[in-house]
Amino acid sequence: MQSYWFGDVDENGCTPYRGGPAALAKRLETIRIFPGSFVPFDWNDSVKCSFTPDREEYIRKLRDLCFYLAEAGITRQYESRDAELLQMVRTLDQLDEVSNVLTERALEWHRINNPGFSRKYMRLPKQKLLPMMKRGGSPAFRQIINEIENLASARTALMKEVSWRADEVVPNCSALLGGLVAARLVSQAGSLQTLSRLPGSSIQVLGARTALFSHMRGGTPPPKHGIIFQHRRVHNAPKEVRGKVARVLAAKLAIAARLDQYRQELAPEFIETAQAMIDNAGCAT
Amino acid sequence: MIWVENVLVSPGEGGVYGERMLKEYRVWDPYRSKLAAYYYLGGEFELTPDMVVLYLGAANGTTVSHVADYAGTVYAIEFAPRPMQDMVAVARRRNNVVPLMADAAQPERYAPLLEMADLIYQDIAQPEQVTIAIRNRVFLREGGRMLIMLKTRSIDTAEVPGVVLERSVAALEAARITVLDTKWLDPYHKDHAAMLCSSGLGPG
Repeated sequence: MQSYWFGDVDENGCTPYRGGPAALAKRLETIRIFPGSFVPFDWNDSVKCSFTPDREEYIRKLRDLCFYLAEAGITRQYESRDAELLQMVRTLDQLDEVSNVLTERALEWHRINNPGFSRKYMRLPKQKLLPMMKRGGSPAFRQIINEIENLASARTALMKEVSWRADEVVPNCSALLGGLVAARLVSQAGSLQTLSRLPGSSIQVLGARTALFSHMRGGTPPPKHGIIFQHRRVHNAPKEVRGKVARVLAAKLAIAARLDQYRQELAPEFIETAQAMIDNAGCAT
Repeated sequence: MIWVENVLVSPGEGGVYGERMLKEYRVWDPYRSKLAAYYYLGGEFELTPDMVVLYLGAANGTTVSHVADYAGTVYAIEFAPRPMQDMVAVARRRNNVVPLMADAAQPERYAPLLEMADLIYQDIAQPEQVTIAIRNRVFLREGGRMLIMLKTRSIDTAEVPGVVLERSVAALEAARITVLDTKWLDPYHKDHAAMLCSSGLGPG
C-alpha cells in the first residue's frame, strides 16, 4: 500500500482521506515515503479515488493544503525562542554602526566652524563630546546631535533587553560568555539549532569569516578566534596562548549550546567545571 | 522561449518583484536568474506548457514565477522561512505553482505530495548539492531532464571551479545520471555552471 496526501492506494483500489487542509496536514505528518520505496504516482489515482474530478481540482486542493502547511511552517520557525533574539542583537549592532557614522560626520561638520577643535577633543568620550558640540551649532545641527543622543539611550535600553533575553534563551552560553556576546554568537550562526550542531572548532572562528576564507584560499595563517575574542579570557590572554584559550572556550561553548538547545535550562555543575577549565587554559604549560 | 528584440521575456501577469515589462511580456533578467542566464548563453532545453517541474531551492520565487509562465505545473521547494514568505505570495497569484516548505535533502518528507516531473531544476547553495539532486531523481519520469545550477563556491570555496565541476559530473555519472551538457554562466553569474542531465534510466 502506498499513502499519498489525498489517500491510500493499493491493488484493491483506494481510500480517500476526508477533511480540510488542517486534517490533511495532520494526516501527512504520519506519512514518510523514502526514495527507495517511492512508487511513481499519477494524479489520475486521485480521480479514481473519487477525491477530485479533474486535474484542475486536484491542483487546487493540493495548493490549499500546501499554503496551509507553508504558513504553519513559517509561523513555527518564527516562534522559536531565538528568532527574536537574533533580530534584537542585529539591531543593536546596526545601531552602533549608525550612531558612529553620524557622530563622525557631525564631528567633521563641527570642526569647520571651530578651527580650534583639534584631535585632543576627539578622544573625549561621546557623552562629553556631544553636549559640547551642541553649544553654538545651528538648529538643525543641534537636532542631529539630539538624535545621536537618543540613539545612544535606545541602545542602552536594547542592550539590557538583549542580555535578559539571552539569559533566558541561551542560559549556558550566556553564563560562559555574557549575554551580549552569546547573542552575537547565535546571530552569527543563524539560529540556536545551527549553533548547537557546530563543532567547537567552527564556533572558535565564527565571525572571522574573511580571515578564515583567506586562510583556506591563500594559505594565510588561520584565525585563532572570531566573536569569542570579545571574551575577557581570550583578549586578555598573552598572545602565545590566546589560541589555546580560544580553543578551550569554543569547545565548552559547543557543549553549552547543545545544553541550551536540548535541555533549555542552566546546568550549574557544567558551568562550574567549564569555567574552571577556561580560567586555567592559559596558565599551565 | 519567447524573445522580444533580443530580450528574454515570459508571458504572465507582471509586478511580481518589480520586473520591467516589454510589450505585455515580463522581462527575465539574466543577472538575477540563473535560468535566464542559461538561455542567454544558448541553452537549448525549452520549457513547454505540458511540463511538470520540480523546482528545488525556490528562494523568493522570482525565477519560479517565470518558470510558471512557461510550464504546466511547478512544485517549488524552499526551506528557509524568510524567502518562503515571498514565495507564498508569488504562488498565490499563479495557480500552477505549488509551494512546499521542505528541505530538499529530505525528499521523504514531501514525497507524498509530489507527482512525477518532466524537469527537476535545482538551484541550492549546499555543499552536498549534487547528492541532493541524486536523491531527488526518483521524482523524474523516464526521459525527463535535470537542470542543475552548480554553485562551485558553495561546494568548495578553496578548489578551482573547473575541478569542482569535473568532480560533480563524475559523481552524477557514478549515479547513472548522464550529463548531456555543461555551461558556465559567466558573465552573468561568476563560478556558476549549468548542467543539463538525463535520468539515465530507460530511453532518453
